[in-house]
Amino acid sequence: MDIKQEYLSAAYPGGAKKNIGSNIRAVFANPLAQIALVGVVLALVQFLALGGMISSAFAYALGNTLIYAIVAIGFCLLLGYSGLASLGTAGFIGLGSYVAFYLIEGMGAPYYVALLVTLAVSITIGVIVGFISLRIEGIYLAIMTLALAEIIRSLLMVLKATIKININNIVLFGVNVNEKAVYLLITATFVILMVLTSNLIRSPVGRAMLAMKDSTSASQAMGISLMKYRLLAFVISTVYAAMGGLLYMMYVRNMTTATSTLLTLSTSLNILGAVIIGGAKSLWGTTLGTFIIYGLQSMFLSKIRFFVDHPAFITMITGLLIILVVMFFPGGFAQMLAAFRGWLRRKRIERRIRAYVDDRN
Amino acid sequence: MCVTALAAFAVTIIFRTSTTANFAQGAISAFGCYVVADLLNKHGIPVWIGVFAGVLVGVVIGVFIDLLVFRRGRHVNELGKQIITMGFVSLFFGGIPLVFGTPERIPFEAFYNTVKAKTSPNFVIPALGGEIVITKHAVICLGITVVVLAVLFLLLKYSKWGLGVRATASSEFTAELMGIDTHVITAISWALACGLGVLAAVMYAGGGTSISAAFMTTIQVNAFLACILGGFSTFYGPVIGAVLIPLAASCVGFLANFKGFYGISRWQMVIVYVLLLIAILIKPEGLFGKKTLKKV
Repeated sequence: MDIKQEYLSAAYPGGAKKNIGSNIRAVFANPLAQIALVGVVLALVQFLALGGMISSAFAYALGNTLIYAIVAIGFCLLLGYSGLASLGTAGFIGLGSYVAFYLIEGMGAPYYVALLVTLAVSITIGVIVGFISLRIEGIYLAIMTLALAEIIRSLLMVLKATIKININNIVLFGVNVNEKAVYLLITATFVILMVLTSNLIRSPVGRAMLAMKDSTSASQAMGISLMKYRLLAFVISTVYAAMGGLLYMMYVRNMTTATSTLLTLSTSLNILGAVIIGGAKSLWGTTLGTFIIYGLQSMFLSKIRFFVDHPAFITMITGLLIILVVMFFPGGFAQMLAAFRGWLRRKRIERRIRAYVDDRN
Repeated sequence: MCVTALAAFAVTIIFRTSTTANFAQGAISAFGCYVVADLLNKHGIPVWIGVFAGVLVGVVIGVFIDLLVFRRGRHVNELGKQIITMGFVSLFFGGIPLVFGTPERIPFEAFYNTVKAKTSPNFVIPALGGEIVITKHAVICLGITVVVLAVLFLLLKYSKWGLGVRATASSEFTAELMGIDTHVITAISWALACGLGVLAAVMYAGGGTSISAAFMTTIQVNAFLACILGGFSTFYGPVIGAVLIPLAASCVGFLANFKGFYGISRWQMVIVYVLLLIAILIKPEGLFGKKTLKKV
């Protein structure tokens, strides 16, 4: 027998048997199927909560986390695929929530109008800020967006002390809905944006962004317009953040501008932390990171006394994790997981080969 | 204004020597300020010694950050370094309430009340039919800032250390080849920056601001903007930028005295930021910056 064939048959003894499961496996290797599956599971949580099988507080916290996950996906595109760091996420969330408040509470507009206006406003602001701060390389974007977030925060404080939407004013496709239905809307938005983003990443645009991240000079030489793709990534992340704000206003419906932590720098840092810790180059990693930073806190740790008394402890751990991950695992948890799986597979094959060799001797 | 100048200088020196924007500047300063406040309020230590201790804490933190993180993380790219400093912000935001308990307080209130009992806190200068009121606090701050910055600029220009910093700033690799111990230089600049940050924070809080983990954020934003306005490529540019920004803000505030601009003071900072954006749009490398060319 050919030595290569011998090796293969020893390492993968069940080569033929695999075919049974491979159809299902092939379906789930498709990212769209994965996203759809997660979407169905997430939606199921709410129905189980309605049936009383899961506590509704858990479902509520999950919805909250999903909002942050939406924001984080946009940020992932900006940081992981274009190599730009922004500190203005909180500002754009605030922008979205104010637009939502103004339209829904002030003018009684239905959801889709609010959505369209949010998109328009965030795209406009994103283009203006991006165009100015992306003209030069380096840290300018982070600083300008930091300043912008401060501007929006002070602006909101001047405009309105408490932003509050009456539950009767939230109308979704002609029906008056409560937060349980908004949860489903959040899930749907999450799924749609996830699909859009994963398609974008695999399109020429996404490839151009990746090239740009790896080497600006080389990608420029290949004919990639830096400004165009950077601006695109920045605007997309702005839009996602504003969408997050819009959904937040519909879901939580209440925000005090002066004290809300949603508008401060710590939100931007938490989103950044979520993306870094989860893995800046992987959408699932980013989602996982959001669940680690926001989900753990609101869904599980809030039951433990120590963390209720010291919420700051979680912020501290986030900071520590960011530093360690950047220093030792630049790919985040996604990279760790992949490395672990590779290690397992190697071990398994090693064991089989050893057994085969032992057998022959 | 003085506070921003000090903070801007601190940001620049780290940016030049370790090629990263130190976003943790404000958080570290706030930490030092808490130390000072605790020393003053709980142990009744005189202000000068307290400030000295606070600055020392800042210096120690700065050296630690450089030794533990940045020296090891040299292979980390520029973006990674920035993100590490953002991680430090998170660390300090979480750490400050844990270490010092209550989140907000006015640290120097007790100190001020004793001073106020004896003398008025303001100088009043009669001028042009009106009166100009200057707080003694502002005068003291101005004095400290001018002295500190003058000493630093003289050192930068004439001392061996200053030469090392300037060499490291222009090219770390070449500086190393020329026999400059760049490790020591970056460690010193981190120490210096964090120490200056604490000094700035104490001066800012001394004006009667209540302090919290995030109370330096506004100052820091201004400092960064000052750096951009002045241009990162010189050491004096950011300081001038730091003077210009509050000056512009007060000019806008002054407009409120005229009819038709009545409500403008609320929008003061917004207008200044927009002006800044325009300035950057026109001259991206800063007012005193030089254009850097990059080789592939």
